[in-house]
Amino acid sequence: MILSLLFFTFSFVFYAITALLYIGSWVFKKRWLGQAATAMAVIAAFSTGMILIFRATEAGHAPFSNLWESMMLFVWAVNVGYLIMEYKHKFRVMGAFVMTFEVLAMLSAFLLPYKFKSAEPLNPALQNKWHWMTDLLSRWGAQKYAIGWLDFHVVTTFIGYAGFAISFGISIMFLLKNRSEEGGRKSALMDAFPEARVLDELGYRTIAWGFPFLTTGIISGAVWANYAWGTYWSWDPKETWSLITWFIYAAYLHARVTKGWRGRKAAYLSIAGFLAVIFLYWGVSFVLPGLHAYA
Amino acid sequence: MTVEKDNRAWYRKAGGKAWYFFNSLKLTLFVLITLAIVSIFGTVVEQNLPIAKYHAQYGAKWTKIILMTGVNDMYHANWFVFLLALLTVNIIVCTFERFPPKWKSLLTHKPSRFDPRVIDKCAHHHTITLNENAASVRDRVTELLKKKKFNIEKYDAEGAYNIYAWRGTWGRLGSDVVHISLLLILLGAIVGSFAGYKDYATINVGDVADVPYNAFKVRLDKFWIEYYDTGQIRQYNSNLTVIENGKEVLKQQIWVNEPLYYKGVRFYQSSYGPSWNKVESADIALVKKKTGDAVRGPFTVKWGETVIVPKTPYSVKLVDYVADFAYDEKNKIIYSQSPEANNPAVGIEVYEKGKVVSTPWLFLKYPGVVPALPDKDNDLMVTGYRGVMYSGISLNKDPGTNIVWAGSVVMALGFIMAFFVFHRRVWVHIRETGSLTEVKIGGMINKNNLVLEEELKNIADRLSGNQTGPDKRSTGDRQ
Repeated sequence: MILSLLFFTFSFVFYAITALLYIGSWVFKKRWLGQAATAMAVIAAFSTGMILIFRATEAGHAPFSNLWESMMLFVWAVNVGYLIMEYKHKFRVMGAFVMTFEVLAMLSAFLLPYKFKSAEPLNPALQNKWHWMTDLLSRWGAQKYAIGWLDFHVVTTFIGYAGFAISFGISIMFLLKNRSEEGGRKSALMDAFPEARVLDELGYRTIAWGFPFLTTGIISGAVWANYAWGTYWSWDPKETWSLITWFIYAAYLHARVTKGWRGRKAAYLSIAGFLAVIFLYWGVSFVLPGLHAYA
Repeated sequence: MTVEKDNRAWYRKAGGKAWYFFNSLKLTLFVLITLAIVSIFGTVVEQNLPIAKYHAQYGAKWTKIILMTGVNDMYHANWFVFLLALLTVNIIVCTFERFPPKWKSLLTHKPSRFDPRVIDKCAHHHTITLNENAASVRDRVTELLKKKKFNIEKYDAEGAYNIYAWRGTWGRLGSDVVHISLLLILLGAIVGSFAGYKDYATINVGDVADVPYNAFKVRLDKFWIEYYDTGQIRQYNSNLTVIENGKEVLKQQIWVNEPLYYKGVRFYQSSYGPSWNKVESADIALVKKKTGDAVRGPFTVKWGETVIVPKTPYSVKLVDYVADFAYDEKNKIIYSQSPEANNPAVGIEVYEKGKVVSTPWLFLKYPGVVPALPDKDNDLMVTGYRGVMYSGISLNKDPGTNIVWAGSVVMALGFIMAFFVFHRRVWVHIRETGSLTEVKIGGMINKNNLVLEEELKNIADRLSGNQTGPDKRSTGDRQ
């Protein structure tokens, strides 16, 4: 467990530096600071990837079985998702928000009690491998690398969470920019933001990625529950909260095409959606009892 | 619009009003947000507890409110189901209202006559003037659009060339496909709740259990627990045999995550424990009544088997066991008051010359409380036993599941269409003005404006020859 925790420490430092560089490039408007920030974000993504790889070898299974491991996946997915967006749309201001969020996520993972961090073997309910994959890989004696519904469910869900986390940052930026545009005030910090119209589009695009992945996560969870528990939906708190989140983002998608709901109200829905994600992810595990108690 | 007198019958008017009410995105937003908010209550108040527990947790007043509003079983409460029904009707009405015209317009979207004025109305448009003849500009535009995978329709007019280009038409239908998939999933859930059932059975190792509503039975051959080297539990396993018409038709090992499936019924490993009503064998001894000293034995009797007590006329058959012996005087039945072996007792039948002479219970903790034999000097006593495990098997049949899965696949398809296929339409008007050529280009997209904005800008840049790299998609670092 030493290597994964070692890389965790590295990554924590990397994210702190990355966040500072992005904020610096936003405030001081220096191009080299922005380029350094991007480079540092790539390094942080690699380092976070190493945490996942080392944890997988230490635990002997895909690293998605406790809160700390899933946090690492989350942080990694947010980072990669952000980098793809930066590459596609060439805006760096978002980095200041996304990477600050990453630092907070790393901090919260750091503060988790030890029992949520240690590498543990999989309990009976978490052991699910796809037969066809096990059979296929066993031809080359590699059946231990087969994956199953656990891995598919967790990965799709967390890509969804990552999309929502980024859109949360963008929605906050939208509200700030929208206010400054409507107020007609000039401010050097706000001028660095893309136009509110563009932020609204980008927020929508990230949710357009997050929503199908959350849905796939919910459905794959249902398929798996049908194998493990004998029912695809049992209104367990985690399931219900995933549905609550789904309702909010469904409302967001409809709000964007409804008169009087575009823009500001839709942005509020996106923020409410991400608060629901945080509760779905952390709140349910700690506050509410249920079948998902392990993560 | 002219104001006309509404001559429709009252029910048509009412129907029209209802239709108008349901054909509303505001209703969708209202229901979605309401569902999100009320669903929270059901996660805070634990569902389907015994009423006494609500009393203990919330007090009498709140318990009354919880029970009255159905929050204790909220997701099946009438008003919650009503909200879901409202959403369903909303989806159906919106689909009926929007789908047919959309479908029609997709089939006939190509204009019969090209009207250049449409370009000025587009949210994204460019006008460029080039020092080049119109025909060659038209060819270059066509080439550029083709490279971007647009379909092209040409409208050559006098002194002008017009092009209408489009792609991703079917992305328009994505939202309808998603809505239909939701209806399918709902249908599957309804079918499941009416045509399916759930049950739970504890089966002792070696026993056969009936499967409700079915002619076949299952037998539990073995139950065992696997451990990791660290001592943590790895897996719970049961070996099951399906018996139909007295024949063994299927043998399979099940574990958590690996159910047995037979004729639409699934059997799941869901719990386990030491049995409270069966043992593998018991040790029985013949003892002196007065002293309690063993005269014969102890000898081992297996479950359901008969053993002769050596050098006596008696034989003993092991027929029953309870882990925590209790007697219900009203109904005159013996039962186990808990699954724990607090007061274990074995039930035996004693035979003499092939006839039953007594059917006593032998108590491990209280030997001799009930005389077991019609014998003045001797008595029987149980000195030990080997328990068996039971395996808790949940079983269910849900014919709606496959509809739900079909709906999920359709939904995935719908998401791809809705979120990743964009319907783009582009109009190009090319006109010679003296020695120069004026190009007007404008476009519309159903979502993701940034994509079309960049595409049109890219086309305009290339036409005027500003473009540097062949595949540069954006206009550089905007920071």
